[in-house]
Amino acid sequence: MTAAVSRMEAGLNLPPPGTRDLAQGDSERADVALAAAGDERAFERLYRQHVPRIHSLVRRMAGGGETETDELVQDVFVRAWQRLSTFRGEAAFGTWLHRLAVNLVLNAQKSSARGRKLFDDDSAIDLSPGRRETPEIAMDLEDALGKLPKGARQIFVLHDVEGFLHEEIAEMLGVATGTSKAQLHRARMLMKRHLER
Amino acid sequence: MSEHLNELLSSYLDEDVTALERMRVESHLARCEQCRADLEGLRRVVRRAATLDDRPPQNDLWAGIESRLHSPDTSDVVPFAPRRRRFVFTMPQLAAAAAVLVAVSAGGASLLMHNAATPTTAATTDARATVIPANASPEVLISAGYDAPIKELQQTLAQRRNRLDTSTVRVIEQSLTVIDAAIRQAKAALAKDPDNLYLNGHLQRALDRKLDLLRQAATLPVVS
Repeated sequence: MTAAVSRMEAGLNLPPPGTRDLAQGDSERADVALAAAGDERAFERLYRQHVPRIHSLVRRMAGGGETETDELVQDVFVRAWQRLSTFRGEAAFGTWLHRLAVNLVLNAQKSSARGRKLFDDDSAIDLSPGRRETPEIAMDLEDALGKLPKGARQIFVLHDVEGFLHEEIAEMLGVATGTSKAQLHRARMLMKRHLER
Repeated sequence: MSEHLNELLSSYLDEDVTALERMRVESHLARCEQCRADLEGLRRVVRRAATLDDRPPQNDLWAGIESRLHSPDTSDVVPFAPRRRRFVFTMPQLAAAAAVLVAVSAGGASLLMHNAATPTTAATTDARATVIPANASPEVLISAGYDAPIKELQQTLAQRRNRLDTSTVRVIEQSLTVIDAAIRQAKAALAKDPDNLYLNGHLQRALDRKLDLLRQAATLPVVS
């Protein structure tokens, strides 16, 4: 059973998140073919159509500031331009671009943080029982997401926002499927508690 | 009461449990108020995560992307796989390659002509087709390596054309028209300035694009 189907059956009654807005119309197919043939204007149209989604994905995955996110997003589109000839059209262009963005973020982080543990707790939200309650209004989900530990955050984004399966996530991150499941639960619980504050 | 369900709650929410685990979870939930509350909280988090809005960048990033599209320096982009090498040849290299091709082709043709017992017209025709004079023009030398695969892929596309999505075929043919125009222009420019390395590279890139597009077209799924 896929995660998408299981989410529906679990009563969430939501479309699989990874497939939202990824339908490929005729005009997009035309732009993909033209861009693959070197048409920059067609590629710009693809950029404008997909940049909100890719920017949000990269921001959530990388957890960095606007500048770092912008640089990574530019890298994603430059890489997409370079690799357009390898796009076979078997999946929607948006899906292909999405996967490319995920891989680029993960690879960038691997190369910039060799030797560091993926699942460290350095940036974890403070959930200790004695934590002093503040009068602040509960933080927005995006903000709470940004405060999750990196490993848990990436798995949460990949699974609950983007709709990847645990098996796919485990392969991308080089961890066991059980680790992916455990980190997802940890992330969800951290988010839940943070949002309930 | 037994221990709380912990990550089994998430698996249950995702319907990623065995029948036995499901029974265990539901039995526990019937008795445990905290786990019921946790399950509801997790359900809200998952629902909200799936409805997060996408937000565009604060600044338009296109100018920065556009400036890098044809920049050779893309080393700051993390590679996923070894990049396909693009070859740009100098005139002496092209001439040397042509000489080798002529020698090989002539040898093959000679063998075929001396093999009187089994003369093969098609084979000798093919062998003659690969013979390129050493003093051939640059566009002929460059095009020589592309002619056969392009011809073959064009034949494949022609055979599959009626089974492909018509709008996709239309786009491919429009793109091929654009690329062919670029190839013709590059060849015309090379005829006037045969030693121009930029034009050599330009022609080669246009031929690469045509080959890539035809390869894509040859592997497109047919419409059932």
